[in-house]
Amino acid sequence: MSSCDVETLALAALGESIPAETRAHITVCVRCQTTLDELTAVASRATAISDSDRPTPPPAFVWENIERAIAADKAERRGGGRPAGWFALAAAVGLIVGVGGTSVVLSQDSSPAVTVVAETTLDPLKEGQASGVARVEQTVNGSVLNVSVPDLPTPDGYYEVWMLAPDSSRMISIGVLGSGEMNVFPLPAGMQMAEFPVVDISVEKYDGDVTHSADSVVRGQLSI
Amino acid sequence: MHTGYEAPAGGLVESVPEGVRVRAEADAELALSFAAGDDVLRQMYDRWSTLVHTLCLRSTGNADDAADLTQSVFLSAWRGRAGYDPAAGALSAWLVGITRRRIADYWAKRTKDRDATAALAGFDSERTAPAADAVTDTVLLADELSRLGDPQKRIMELAFFQDLSHAQIASVLDLPLGTVKSHIRRSLERLRNRLEVDGVLV
Repeated sequence: MSSCDVETLALAALGESIPAETRAHITVCVRCQTTLDELTAVASRATAISDSDRPTPPPAFVWENIERAIAADKAERRGGGRPAGWFALAAAVGLIVGVGGTSVVLSQDSSPAVTVVAETTLDPLKEGQASGVARVEQTVNGSVLNVSVPDLPTPDGYYEVWMLAPDSSRMISIGVLGSGEMNVFPLPAGMQMAEFPVVDISVEKYDGDVTHSADSVVRGQLSI
Repeated sequence: MHTGYEAPAGGLVESVPEGVRVRAEADAELALSFAAGDDVLRQMYDRWSTLVHTLCLRSTGNADDAADLTQSVFLSAWRGRAGYDPAAGALSAWLVGITRRRIADYWAKRTKDRDATAALAGFDSERTAPAADAVTDTVLLADELSRLGDPQKRIMELAFFQDLSHAQIASVLDLPLGTVKSHIRRSLERLRNRLEVDGVLV
């Protein structure tokens, strides 16, 4: 062989025997020698491929967590940042890795064991206002309500999350909505969700009155 | 066995396969969009999350940790997007680089915590980092291999994993010898190119 024949080199890389004259050519041709070395390295690595190297797509919740964290980033930039809210959010989406003592949070909230039990869109009660989504999720530690209303304006007061009976005659306060776009609230273990399927977010004044202000911004009914 | 595959007409052997060229162009476009600040993370995720996740899974041996690391890689990419320079390398290589750093951090922390973990958990503490470079390359090759069309994929699987010669492969797949030889050559070159772009050792 006087010229470089890459097809034969490829076969040699796979361990096939090649004609003596090709072998002789390789010893005097730097280009063929280099190509053979490269292809042999590729072939030997490829031969080492095992079942655990096979392409495995990530579970769906990985992207969901990424989306939430990015939404939170954007909210942080808008809102100027509230460390406590950010911490809770980061913990919820499993961002806090390797900080002493928080690994428990990580394994709880980002584990694939989280399943969505019920979900609803949160629709604005006045035209043109923000909307969002609420999910009841089952985690290893019980049920949580996961609320996301990305574009809520800064309120005169603060936002409070409620779960109401369908006729609004009774309600349970779930918690204060943080500044991040996503908030996770533990639900009382004994609570009958079917009795309080309506997720409601109200604007509350700093007036010390623990009852609902009757000034709701978004609402949605979970299908339970 | 007959695959129904017909050997390409003469002249195609030297050309870059259409699928490879289109994909390389799409990747380059994606890289430019990303560098320009466009919100293309979802497209990047669709394109490379399987590779990133497989690297993490292979390197940690733990599904939960692999999911966490994959999440952290794409978030790092998003938050550090200003640091990506398309002139410095392929976007895939940049993502693989982030992935390798995350995996290295993971094992560094794990090694540090091992004594404490062993005392508390009493299990799982024997896991140690696999040879990272070799893992990266075999996962990259498995990824590229999975993207080969047939009969190329089948041919390379028979060559790599069944240790068949090209003559045996031609016989098994009922293909002309020359076709099998040119597929082997082009596929090996394609795998080599992939390692050159994203890999570590070659």
